[in-house]
Amino acid sequence: MLAIDAHDVTKTFKSGWLRPTRTAALRGVSLTVPRGTIVGLLGPNGAGKTTLLSILATLLTPDSGSVRVLGHDVVRDAARLRRRLNMASGRPSFLWSLRVGEIVAFYGRLYGLSGSKLRRRVDELIELCELGANRRTPYSELSTGLKQRVALAKSLVNDPELLFLDEPTLGLDPDVSVRVRRHIADLRSQRGITIVLTTHYMREADELCDEIAFIKAGRILARGTPAELKRRIRLGDVIALRLDPPAVPWLGEAPGVLRCRAVDGWVECTVDGAEKRLPDLLRALSAEGIAVRNVRVREPELEDVFVELAR
Amino acid sequence: MSWRAELLAVWAVVVRNALMASRNVFFFFELLFWPIVGVLSIGLMTRFLHLTPAQASFVLIGTIALSIVNVCQLEVAYAVLLDVWSKSLKHQFLAPIGIRHLTLGSWLVGMARGGVLFLLLAALGWWAFDFRVLAPGWLAVAVFLLGCFLNAWIVGVFVCALIALFGNRAEAFAWASVNLVLVLAGLYYPVSVLPEPVATVAAAIPLTYFLDAYRAHFGFAPEFRAPIATGLALSVVYAALAHWCFFAAIQRARRTGLLLKMSE
Ligand SMILES: Nc1ncnc2c1ncn2[C@@H]1O[C@H](COP(=O)(O)OP(=O)(O)O)[C@@H](O)[C@H]1O
Ligand SMILES: [Mg+2]
Repeated sequence: MLAIDAHDVTKTFKSGWLRPTRTAALRGVSLTVPRGTIVGLLGPNGAGKTTLLSILATLLTPDSGSVRVLGHDVVRDAARLRRRLNMASGRPSFLWSLRVGEIVAFYGRLYGLSGSKLRRRVDELIELCELGANRRTPYSELSTGLKQRVALAKSLVNDPELLFLDEPTLGLDPDVSVRVRRHIADLRSQRGITIVLTTHYMREADELCDEIAFIKAGRILARGTPAELKRRIRLGDVIALRLDPPAVPWLGEAPGVLRCRAVDGWVECTVDGAEKRLPDLLRALSAEGIAVRNVRVREPELEDVFVELAR
Repeated sequence: MSWRAELLAVWAVVVRNALMASRNVFFFFELLFWPIVGVLSIGLMTRFLHLTPAQASFVLIGTIALSIVNVCQLEVAYAVLLDVWSKSLKHQFLAPIGIRHLTLGSWLVGMARGGVLFLLLAALGWWAFDFRVLAPGWLAVAVFLLGCFLNAWIVGVFVCALIALFGNRAEAFAWASVNLVLVLAGLYYPVSVLPEPVATVAAAIPLTYFLDAYRAHFGFAPEFRAPIATGLALSVVYAALAHWCFFAAIQRARRTGLLLKMSE
């Protein structure tokens, strides 16, 4: 069963009155998401991730293409679809002087909850999102992390079957991000919610997602499980070297080296196979009188896939 | 949508607007300070100009009507303005509710505030200027207030539509155009003193008729035939038009991405 079935979706924004500029945010995106999975949309800023989420969540009408979400057409059947999905953003905003409990309750009522049912749901969500101590705090006085938890609580208020998370860990401290990720994973495993999230943190996508779609300039460039993507892009291994002197111009042209880049004082060479190339490389370096202070060999990370695709 | 869900969505907006109103000092000025200043200064002016009690009541009714319409229409506009200011507009349009819930809920709160304000100003007018606003009886008062509230609803929804159409930069323009129209409704003068093209505009404003009907109770000959029926009929037409404009503006905002832009 597919939660999302989108074909050839396009969206162009026009802005400005006198001389309107056009931004093609999506140029023919197709995406299917099976129920009960977590799918990540990964891509640089301005790739079209938020635009795609907004179309899937009925906040934005596509220019062309067909989009079915939970079996409903997002344009014609938007009203019915809305009760079954929800969305939270890593840059949340709510009415500034409402308190945490009041915000959750307000949206609860919009989704048809009242009386003891509403109270129970609010209590449950406040506990789930660890907001108990801040239940009566006005929204404007919350920290970024707490605001994002309010957004998460709000997004669960209608017990959605499908949840969109737009950069859910944006700007959070690492320990808080870890907790948020665990929450997200739990939502799927315990409640069976289908989740589509956007992120530009590779770790996050690698850890959370069953499948990842790379999106750039309004197109999906690649799609698959994290392991598949690493394999499919055929990155080889990464040999990281700390050298003295640090810059070695010929390294990129050495046999078997696909490319080189400098990262924080290290030179990272992507090679077709580490066992085969490392001895030769070390020999060549020492023959040139270049001291090798440190060597590390690692498998490619999703980050490398991303850098490769985003080129 | 079931009736229960309909009422609940309206109630959600009522609670939200009431909470926001109770938390903001700015609201206190909207509700009390400026209207009281208005009634006092107009009342004192009628003394200074030695207006007859009938003339003074004519002007004071205009002032009070303006205050009520203003307070109520502002609250109706809060249906979207609060969320535009706090950049949270998209959440309510992600929820399975319609604009009618937003405008109706805000209108209910606006009517409550307008009603309270009316009683306060009536008491003030009585105490300070011996002006008995409530003298025509509760039915006449109710019709007068209904007229004010209907106008406020129309104006507030048009403001919502303009904001959904042009974004927050439309705010100033929206208020200005709205006030311009209201001034023509004969707040401080009979519509008959207006020159022809402007008089036609005044005759197209529902508030004109409700003012006319209420002033008849203070001894002024009505300028229109069946003012209440005309006022109500006009109100229904404008209310439907305003609602359609707001609806179309939101549909458009979903297409252009303005809905998202106002939320970031
Ligand atoms: N509401 C909008 N109005 C005009 N342009 C927009 C709007 N939303 C996004 N864009 C433009 O569309 C492109 C894609 O944006 P977005 O989907 O937000 O990217 P991402 O979320 O991947 O960073 C960007 O160039 C952005 O400037
Ligand atoms: Mg984005």
